[in-house]
Amino acid sequence: MNTTLLARTELGRILIFTLAVSATLSNQLLAEDDLLLLADEPVSDLLSDDNLLLTSNTSGDDLLSGEDDLLANDDLLAGDDLLANENDLAEDLLSQPAEVAVEVMEDAVADAAAAHAALFAEDRFPSATTCATCHPDHYEEWSVSSHAYSQMSPIFNAMHAKIVKLTNGTNGDFCIRCHTQVGMQLEEPVFMSNLERNPTSREGITCIVCHRVSNNYGKVSGRTSLEEGDVFAPVYGPEGGAVLAEVLANRDKFKVNADPNKNGRNIHAEAIEFEPISTSGFCGSCHDVNLLNGFRLEEAFSQYKNTEASKRGESCQDCHMGTVPGIASGYEEGPAAVVGGIPTKARKRTNHMFAGPDYSIVHPGIFPHNTKAQELATLAEWLEFDYEAGWGTPDFEDNVPLDATFPERWKYIEDREEARTILDQQFKRLASIREQRYQVQRRAYQLGELVVDEYSDKKLRFKIKVKNGTDGHAVPTGFDAERLVYLHVRVKDKDGKLVFESGDRDPNGDVRDLHSAYVHNWELPIDNQLFTLQSKFITRMQRGGEREQILAVNYSPDPLPYIRPEGRPTILSGRPSAVRKHSRGILPAASRWATYSLDRKSIGSGGPYSLEVEMISQMVPVNLIREISDMGYDYNMSPRQIADRVVQHAHSLWTFKTTIDKEGEIEDWTPNEEQIMAPAPPEKPASKDPEESKATIASKE
Amino acid sequence: MPSPINHFLTVTPLLLTAFLTNCLEAASSSRLSDEPVPMQTEGFPERPAPIIEWGQNPFLGNGYIAPGFTTPTGAVWQPLFIVYGTMRSALQSFDAGGPAGETSEWANRLDLFGNLYLTPTERILIGLRPLDENGEFSGYRFSDPKDDVDRINSRVHTLFMEGDFGELFPFLDPLDNKSLDYGFSIGRQPLSFQNGILINDNIDAIGITRSSLFLFGASAFRATALYGWNEIHRGNNREANDTKIYGLLTAADYDQTSFEIDTLYSESTHAEGGDQWNAGISMTRRIRHLNVSLSANTSASLEDGNNSEATGDGTLLVGQFSFTPPYTEDLAYANLFWGIDSFRSAARGPETGGPLGQVGILFAAVGIGSYGAPLGNQADESAGGAIGYQHFFNHTRGQLTFEIGGRTNTTGRSRESIAIGTRFQHAIGRHFVFRADLHASDGNERDSGYGARSEILLKF
Repeated sequence: MNTTLLARTELGRILIFTLAVSATLSNQLLAEDDLLLLADEPVSDLLSDDNLLLTSNTSGDDLLSGEDDLLANDDLLAGDDLLANENDLAEDLLSQPAEVAVEVMEDAVADAAAAHAALFAEDRFPSATTCATCHPDHYEEWSVSSHAYSQMSPIFNAMHAKIVKLTNGTNGDFCIRCHTQVGMQLEEPVFMSNLERNPTSREGITCIVCHRVSNNYGKVSGRTSLEEGDVFAPVYGPEGGAVLAEVLANRDKFKVNADPNKNGRNIHAEAIEFEPISTSGFCGSCHDVNLLNGFRLEEAFSQYKNTEASKRGESCQDCHMGTVPGIASGYEEGPAAVVGGIPTKARKRTNHMFAGPDYSIVHPGIFPHNTKAQELATLAEWLEFDYEAGWGTPDFEDNVPLDATFPERWKYIEDREEARTILDQQFKRLASIREQRYQVQRRAYQLGELVVDEYSDKKLRFKIKVKNGTDGHAVPTGFDAERLVYLHVRVKDKDGKLVFESGDRDPNGDVRDLHSAYVHNWELPIDNQLFTLQSKFITRMQRGGEREQILAVNYSPDPLPYIRPEGRPTILSGRPSAVRKHSRGILPAASRWATYSLDRKSIGSGGPYSLEVEMISQMVPVNLIREISDMGYDYNMSPRQIADRVVQHAHSLWTFKTTIDKEGEIEDWTPNEEQIMAPAPPEKPASKDPEESKATIASKE
Repeated sequence: MPSPINHFLTVTPLLLTAFLTNCLEAASSSRLSDEPVPMQTEGFPERPAPIIEWGQNPFLGNGYIAPGFTTPTGAVWQPLFIVYGTMRSALQSFDAGGPAGETSEWANRLDLFGNLYLTPTERILIGLRPLDENGEFSGYRFSDPKDDVDRINSRVHTLFMEGDFGELFPFLDPLDNKSLDYGFSIGRQPLSFQNGILINDNIDAIGITRSSLFLFGASAFRATALYGWNEIHRGNNREANDTKIYGLLTAADYDQTSFEIDTLYSESTHAEGGDQWNAGISMTRRIRHLNVSLSANTSASLEDGNNSEATGDGTLLVGQFSFTPPYTEDLAYANLFWGIDSFRSAARGPETGGPLGQVGILFAAVGIGSYGAPLGNQADESAGGAIGYQHFFNHTRGQLTFEIGGRTNTTGRSRESIAIGTRFQHAIGRHFVFRADLHASDGNERDSGYGARSEILLKF
């Protein structure tokens, strides 16, 4: 083979070494070319000095091939974009003119440097794909979680960048510290494309962000210290090292090593019991967000401490890592690890999916995190894969013209089909968490009685009870100023004509509140009867009282907003002087009435009326997307594209239809357990044409 | 030598240029763009670090976070000391139209803070104002008597500690499920409640707070108990050194409306003190496009002679209304007040003047030098208001405010005055703000007044 010829020259050896150590020690090189196995002593010596490459020794260890496929699943090699496709490089080099070859070599050297940086980072902060080798089930749950998505979110990145810009840099790493602890520890810039971040840092709240923390820091808004170390360093968990000790005591069975100088599967040498990881306070170190200027942005943990759930001794984990999402229902039993295909002893097994209100809007090739996807292509290459056009499906591939052009990475049908196989797995994961998101939110947001207060030929007044089904915190909680949870209500008269609608969307996809651009610009009327649970950021103006703002940066009293500690005690007022949050959530286990009134002008031909009610939860409002769009969205997404996906994937938690034909209580919509746990409804189609939407609203008004 | 005319000639072209330029800014479309925008990483602002940053962990900077150390109570402290503040330097001329005549001066103010974070929720703050003292600011007076003004001092203006009881003593709640989140603040601390109307002073006090409470059906409820024992200035801005203050201060958010309801009791046997009861209630909500903030603050003197300079019976009603015009981030506002009898705040610092500052820029002093409020800021037996427009431009880094206001005496005496004013502010780079103010005023019992000033503010 060409690479073997190349290896016979000194230059070739250097080149091969550069390629190999850098980006390039790919499983393809190892598995298909046997390059390292053929290399002579100097190469193997160099390699053996690198702990990261220990498993590539030439002892004939079957770790390099066969069923274990350790390298193939090891993010040291595969979890890095920099490592992909370099196997073509050496072959390309030999067929290029000299100057081109030099350029390619320079690129390879640059890649080598970047890959080394990634490997060194791995020495400090192991990737989740490293953990996946022995914890595949945990990895799979986590990979699709909000924690895993935290840094991948293009909305988050643009939003935090906008805040940093508006505060003239002074907000620093406040927001992003939680979203990528590793990236910040690595001193990455606070604003850059995820395509350029270290693979571990874009994993967001990755394994080590919880399991390499050894102190109970309290309400520090994510400013915890991660213990550094490679995969052999200790990890911290709720149950200590009993299972690990058993594995280490059976090295022959599990073929593990906790010593970088020995052969076998790399494994942490210690699993240290860390009780706080099972307490709510551990979650509170991030889920109680207090800016350093005293602004109480998120209060989930503080709320919890004043609830009946906390009095009963139930923790965040009990409801959000247990068997049933959203309720303390006990934990599953299962192995903590599967080492070389052998499960360890069963024990309490927590769910790491953490289903919540957030959902992915990015290309399914880059999220959920997936070791195979990372092996197959870089993030940039995945973004070129047109999954919506059906690439890789039999329908598409059977009918695509032979002269059709594709991006370089996807020019071969085999690659497209392999990508499609991976995407099918991704869609299953996304569907899985979607089910859990529905369950946890249906438990939290519930509808109760429908009561008609007035039913006459002059007026129709009715109300719907909206209930918080949990007693562990208010709903929404956390980042409640950007959680859109609302009722969409439609009333038709006896002739079937739509006479009233609240909770409809403007052409951008916003409900018609003050933050809607169309309402703000007086192009559409405000929805005066909108029932929404979204809290609002309130800023104190230079003069003129307070107003709502989409982002909590106040530029009215001062054109140079700065985040510095306030010169006065903010704990007494719960806010800095210029900004606050107007909380609007429903208290734990409490309820609120959504009231509606139709006067004579709007009751049409009268009753009986047909009533349709839909309760919708959307992770962020579209106006936020508009507000931050000038910072640019990662993955080259347009604001429209982002908004469409946010709206498309919003959760329709409850829908009810009924007839109103009398006064008094009509129905009780309080759900039972079966309804809460029912399958999620099908995904909605993409949004309709914006102008059509606007025209519809205008005609109704 | 600065004079109102010179200032006017300098500042007016700036204001007009800014206004006209930004009137040309195109109205934005409501519709979201279909075009991707590249990530704007070029020129992205770097973190402006505080001038002193001592500790293992940077202040909101990326990089390694050290684990700190564990105290005997189980708390993990990650100490970080930073020094920051603002420096203001102004050239200004002011004539209230009274017998005092015109004052022209160069005045300086430095607000210097040292903040020691033990954790992100526990801190000790020390604050100095080394260039001003007792209402006088270091600099130079151009008007007679011309002279240097030297008020350099090392007096500690602020020194307090605030934190969370539960975070200081985590060993009391190892499972983190008890309600020990008692916030506290103790020491010499600036307090401002009811938008600075009820209390606006720097006093020695202790406050204990509970937040995130679920009381009275509110989505969020906060309650603070306050006890102040020293450095308390009464409603006449003078200290009565045996004054004690007891207070209960609350805030609640409901679906549509936010409320603040506070009550304070002050007691003093000092000749310039006296006993007084204060209460304040305010609400804020949006009604369609209109922002509405209403407040009522009342005081009741418990002294035999009733009203004095320090105490008084009276009520101050303030209404603030505003909205944001279409296609802008601007704010059009109208603020009204009605001072019934002789309202006195529970505590007002010597530099804070009267309680009307929020009514308009024409009712507020600028906080540096002797440039006062064009329409005054005392509320006794008077009514009035201001309407204004705050225009933002250059991506909100610049702003221009126009305002017209007036007030009248409500006792039947014909004491009326009106004023018109403007304020221009613009950020320069990441550390500086340039600000200019102009106003003219007139009244039927005084001469015409005017003022002009320019200021550079440095943040660090």
